[in-house]
Amino acid sequence: MSWLSRAAATAERAAVRLVPAARRDWAEAIWAEAREVPPGWQRLAWRAGGVRLIAKETQMVRRTGTLVLFASAAAAAAWGAWPKSSVSISHGAADQGDVIITLAMLAGLPLLTCRLLGPPDNRQARWLRVGSYAAILAVMSAKAVTDMFVGAVPRGGIDLRTYDVGNSNGGLPVPGTVSGGPTWGGEIIILVITASYLAVMLALTARRAKVAPATLTIGARAGLVLGLVMYAVDPLGGANTATNPWLHGSATDPLVALAWILLFSAPFVAGALAGKRCYVPDDPGQASAARSWQGLAAGLVCNGVGALTVTVLGTGTTALMLKSAWLRGWLYHGQHLTASALYGRELNASGAVVFYALICVAFPVIGLMMGPAGSGYANATGPQPDGGGPGSPPGPGRPEPIPDPPGGGQIADGDAGGLTALRSG
Amino acid sequence: MGSRPQFSPQTLSVLAALFEQPSAWRHGYALARQTGLKSGTLYPILIRLADRGLVEACWQEEPVPGRPRRHLYRLTADGLATATAALAEAEPARAKARPGVSPRGGRGIAAPSVP
Repeated sequence: MSWLSRAAATAERAAVRLVPAARRDWAEAIWAEAREVPPGWQRLAWRAGGVRLIAKETQMVRRTGTLVLFASAAAAAAWGAWPKSSVSISHGAADQGDVIITLAMLAGLPLLTCRLLGPPDNRQARWLRVGSYAAILAVMSAKAVTDMFVGAVPRGGIDLRTYDVGNSNGGLPVPGTVSGGPTWGGEIIILVITASYLAVMLALTARRAKVAPATLTIGARAGLVLGLVMYAVDPLGGANTATNPWLHGSATDPLVALAWILLFSAPFVAGALAGKRCYVPDDPGQASAARSWQGLAAGLVCNGVGALTVTVLGTGTTALMLKSAWLRGWLYHGQHLTASALYGRELNASGAVVFYALICVAFPVIGLMMGPAGSGYANATGPQPDGGGPGSPPGPGRPEPIPDPPGGGQIADGDAGGLTALRSG
Repeated sequence: MGSRPQFSPQTLSVLAALFEQPSAWRHGYALARQTGLKSGTLYPILIRLADRGLVEACWQEEPVPGRPRRHLYRLTADGLATATAALAEAEPARAKARPGVSPRGGRGIAAPSVP
């Protein structure tokens, strides 16, 4: 056997190991059969068919595309967030640590989740993952810009006095340098929040979590509405004094009232809808548990997406306002601010970015409470899961059970259990 | 509203090839030669048919010395019934087609007589 044949045989064996276990026989079969094909072009064409089959079964195109997309986005975000040489050592170290650990989590946690809970098995789950990844990378970049601005000490004049007032506990910074910067404690809290978001989102979108695609859709849509309304109320988060009065939320503003109502009602409604769409044919006890789980997931997704949306938009606006005159004009339209007043507002807004950490903690907790409440409401008021007769098929206007996931190269899930969750209509 | 054909012409050709000797185990290369399909087309079809329980597969028990074991295929009882119905349904269309040429340019096969 020539070295070329040995290399080909090794490559074939390696390729077979890429294929999911349930399909491995087929890949081995096509390689074994290649020995029966006349040598030359015919055998080459046969092997090419084998490569095609393996590429399809391993979903190689999708995996490669995902990897390239993630690597490009991560590289761009890291380039934007990486501290510049002018910053102080402590500032640089904190920001570097933030970038490195965030990227490591983004790359490593999906592998861990895949091993424990399986990969995502529907389009909604994949889109939710893509959106969450994009949001985390965007926040990482925006946060680095605002951190840099907060740490940059003006060279002198009234701006330096404004800076000193805003950083009264910061000691005696050297004018014209970038000092201070994010604290390690604060960075660790933000990294813990990021890791929690990632872990929960990856778990909810994994196959064995059995969260229905419809639940993810309902939760994500409600969350987007919630996030957009929250952003419209106050585009600069905690620094509402830094925005124009028409954006400045006051307690009597109808938009503010709507935002508060949405904060609690959106996860409730999402939980109720997800619960109503959950259908278990025979067992009322199991139906109730399944609805509760779908409701909890919907509430969590709703307020998680809402928090991420408002955080991305808010931190993004804050970071961009430091660079874009147009955006400053939009935020302060009708006002004639001096350069110093503008600097004060920018400083105020940049320093208040930390407020989004509070949103990112509080929103999901509210979602966690309101989602199951919504599904409980659906359980109490919705149609009986068996529709009045055991085994009766779902009729018009009633939810339909989700079909088994298509083979499509996926390993059959051995623990499908009794839960029948639903697709979005 | 016309019903969508259950099987593609390529799948039908595989079913027809297996149908010729329903009890015999066939290997992939023989099926490929008989149907004119390339390996990259034939095997996904066999996988789908096996997933649907229409084809069963097994490994050769006594391989030729010096050769790897081969994977063998034949129709299941369900597969036999389905193939019978599908080939009977497809017979008029196949009769209209140019004899001996498959729709994708592969080597065509004669439709078996459906019992």
